[in-house]
Amino acid sequence: MSEPAVIWLEDCGGDCGPLVGGKALGLGALLREGLRVPAGFAVTTRAYRDHVDANRLAEDIGRLLRECDDSPAAQQRAAQEIRQLFEHSRVSAQLEDELLGAHERLCAGGVRGPRGDAGVAGSPWPVAVRSSATAEDLGEASFAGQQETYLWILGGEQVVRHVVRCWGSLFTPQAIAYRAHRNIAADDLAMGVIVQRMVPAEAAGVMLTIDPVTGDRSQIAIEGSFGLGAAVVGGEVTPDRFCVDKVVLEVRSRAIGAKTVAYRFDPAVQGTVREPVPPAQQHEPCVSDEEVLELARLGKRVERALGRPQDLEWAIGPGESGPREVFLLQARPETVWSQKQTTPLVPPNTSVMDRILHTLGAPGSAPPPRGI
Amino acid sequence: MATTTGPSTGRFPSPFEIETPPGAEGWRDMYVPYLLFSEENREYEDNAFWIWDSMHLPEVQLPFETHANEGWIYAVSAVNSRIFAVPPSFGIAQRILNGYQFIALSTVTDPKEIEARAAVYAERAGYYYQHWDELFERWKVKAEKLITDMAALEIPERLPDLETEQFFYAHPGANSGQFLLKAYATLLQMDLTAWTYHFEMLNIGYAAYLNFFMFCRQAFPGITDQTLAHMLSGTETMYLRPDGELRKLARLAIDLGVADRVAAATDPNRTIAVLRADPKGREWVEALDAVRQPWFNLSNGNGLYHHHQSWNDDLRVPFKSMAGYIARLQRGESIDRPVKEINERKERITAEYRALLQSDEDRRAFDQNLGLAKTVATFIEDHAFIIHDWYHSVEWNKVREFGKFLVGVRFLDEVDDLFYLNRWEVPQALFEAVSAWASVTPSRGEHGYWKRFVTKRKGIVEALRSWTPPPALGPAPAESNDPIMLMLYGLTTEHIQTWLGAGDGRANELHGVAASAGRVTGTARVVRSVNELSQVQEGEILVCPLTEPSWSPIFATIKGAVSDIGGIMSHSAIISREYGLPAVVGTGSGTTTIKTGDTITVDGTSGTVTIHR
Repeated sequence: MSEPAVIWLEDCGGDCGPLVGGKALGLGALLREGLRVPAGFAVTTRAYRDHVDANRLAEDIGRLLRECDDSPAAQQRAAQEIRQLFEHSRVSAQLEDELLGAHERLCAGGVRGPRGDAGVAGSPWPVAVRSSATAEDLGEASFAGQQETYLWILGGEQVVRHVVRCWGSLFTPQAIAYRAHRNIAADDLAMGVIVQRMVPAEAAGVMLTIDPVTGDRSQIAIEGSFGLGAAVVGGEVTPDRFCVDKVVLEVRSRAIGAKTVAYRFDPAVQGTVREPVPPAQQHEPCVSDEEVLELARLGKRVERALGRPQDLEWAIGPGESGPREVFLLQARPETVWSQKQTTPLVPPNTSVMDRILHTLGAPGSAPPPRGI
Repeated sequence: MATTTGPSTGRFPSPFEIETPPGAEGWRDMYVPYLLFSEENREYEDNAFWIWDSMHLPEVQLPFETHANEGWIYAVSAVNSRIFAVPPSFGIAQRILNGYQFIALSTVTDPKEIEARAAVYAERAGYYYQHWDELFERWKVKAEKLITDMAALEIPERLPDLETEQFFYAHPGANSGQFLLKAYATLLQMDLTAWTYHFEMLNIGYAAYLNFFMFCRQAFPGITDQTLAHMLSGTETMYLRPDGELRKLARLAIDLGVADRVAAATDPNRTIAVLRADPKGREWVEALDAVRQPWFNLSNGNGLYHHHQSWNDDLRVPFKSMAGYIARLQRGESIDRPVKEINERKERITAEYRALLQSDEDRRAFDQNLGLAKTVATFIEDHAFIIHDWYHSVEWNKVREFGKFLVGVRFLDEVDDLFYLNRWEVPQALFEAVSAWASVTPSRGEHGYWKRFVTKRKGIVEALRSWTPPPALGPAPAESNDPIMLMLYGLTTEHIQTWLGAGDGRANELHGVAASAGRVTGTARVVRSVNELSQVQEGEILVCPLTEPSWSPIFATIKGAVSDIGGIMSHSAIISREYGLPAVVGTGSGTTTIKTGDTITVDGTSGTVTIHR
């Protein structure tokens, strides 16, 4: 049986990593845990390869890359030309049908306006088109965010166009430089693309299910700001910062940042705009304590399901049961503390009495404490 | 390594520069000489670091009351220094200044000596840890016998004009006056015994607690004290029994149809008398009587002051609580403690922390540390009820019998005037009385000698009450990490630094121990004694000096709590957590800074109380 061009996110699991890429795999895991992730599907690397083959792009791409030297200007130029190749390529009728069909199913669940209002009857649900890189290509997270993400795409035809455009973003100048440096051949490259319902976020941000400062696994750090997550991820605002105790699920600290800008959907331009946050609102928390706790509960579930501390992206926006539902947009393993060699808190074979004597300040009778 | 070492980082006032408050001149004469700062001992006293023991003794001590504190400080010291050889700690020195108690640690500084003591500690504490349950069972037997003996101590209200025939033919070779003197000596001896029992297993128990706490803090820097305490707290401890008995009695009152009369009682003793008159009522009163010993010995204080009273002394307190339970039952509400949920939560939390540990070795250490901490928890939770509440409720009333005797011989006007004489003056008065009785001659005492002391001292005590002690005296240590001070007083370097920096005028914000998580804003109700508890309105925030177990029913009606005194393991903290109320304890000055009617915010997560003015 030939490999499919489209796989629904909830089916992204098991051995389909090379087909859909890491991000889709992570979202699939969340969905199978019953967690709220915006519905969507992955466009597979098979679709990419078929498309490249049908349009005979490999040859041209190979040529352009071979002709390109190490200079940033040349890489810039090559990137532009390759992306032009994609822009002018033709999507096969079969793939187009599959994408349009999947998109139609994706939008079938109802239509809601960008601010959670009833929306316009019959208008398509806005979607995000995001890359989902395969591990063979760019490795662990090092190029996260390098490929483009297209927000607020409306209508099936636009979706098809942006999938192709997203494929083209496999050849950004940075990616070209990186591969040249690592001697990665372009022939084997492929990319997964995720098409996912857009969450018109009222607030969004990131969450780490471990204390990033102390490595304390009993704490969760949450950062968030108004609007889409771009403001937090891009470091454009000082986000609100919450620390939550993972075990007892209590908010331990909250620092409310100055959130001067927010990315939101603007119906006038049919896309996202960066808009100032009114001064009176800038120092208001972007989420309630209850929402912080709900996020923490979700983070805890994901960590348990995936077996290690997680680095998550989240958004709060209108969903099926209310105007402020919590969605998870991305899950990836936390890498800093998780990869550290953990030394035991106590050296092997100490007795309780050894430890008590140490606690009582009798040095020499027990080992010194481990520095954190 | 211990509290009094390290270069000084600042200085609190010298004990020798503290002035006597106006009107309190002569206060030193009230107290026994060895409790005073003195010229003979100035070199030591001026260089030691003293903290005001506001946690145990927030009020002026009356002269007689020091006997209890001499007893416990002596006992805690001997256990550390001479019995278990706690490696870095000898004992505690105590001094009275302007009526308030200051304490200083005596620490071991020689590393060789610490090492030698560690070997002894390992051997001796190890023996106790190993035989804990058995030793605790034996402890309970002897402690309860002590209380029974104290209750049985006979103190005559007056001495006979002539010894009875019965007395004579028992040929004791003695006389009643002698027995009176002996009873007094016995009482003081029993007090000391109570305290040595109290500390017999306490410090080593705390060491096991601390060991578990420090391990968890190392593994989980963000873990809070309240979570740690929660993991160890029992749901069936003695302190929860009195309140549990009230719930049962409230239910029984409804079943027997006497609930309205119980709930309406303003004079409980009269209500009891009336209830005895009919069968249903009698059945209820018998059930009440069956639990008054020992459970109604619950004190409204820590037992260190003579005015700390138990439910048995003032039945209005338990009756008011029962009225509350009856009302809730009549409204169809449940009054059951969610024991199952509390236990399940505790199990879940413990299992989650364990699962977050990263190695088998760490999990093994966690299990061992927790196991020992849980073993000792039985004693730590129950010893206080037995000694502080039960024993001391009996003892203070027994002391009052000597007061009655001295009133009988016209040495004193009021029974409680005895507390204005110190522990060595009382036997003087007693001896004077029995010798006058024997010689059948007039005495100075009956001509106002002791009454003049009492009158003068009442004025002095009043003047001392208006004085507020500094939190500490002498050179501040660079570091404070003595395990005993940490466990008993929560004393840390940060605390000392805060004290040094105090007085920078942020009176609208108080800091204390974050005892029970959550944040609530509401109207403050300042309650200084148990008698004022009835003023508390539903939904108010309780502000009090201490919250003691007998106050626990009030927690069902308030929405937050602030106390002057107390730590993470104090009863108020435990009860607040159980009721899920935000609480900040140990603020030092909540009752003096906050006024009834103030709007305040209690942040039990950060330990802050904000007064909105």
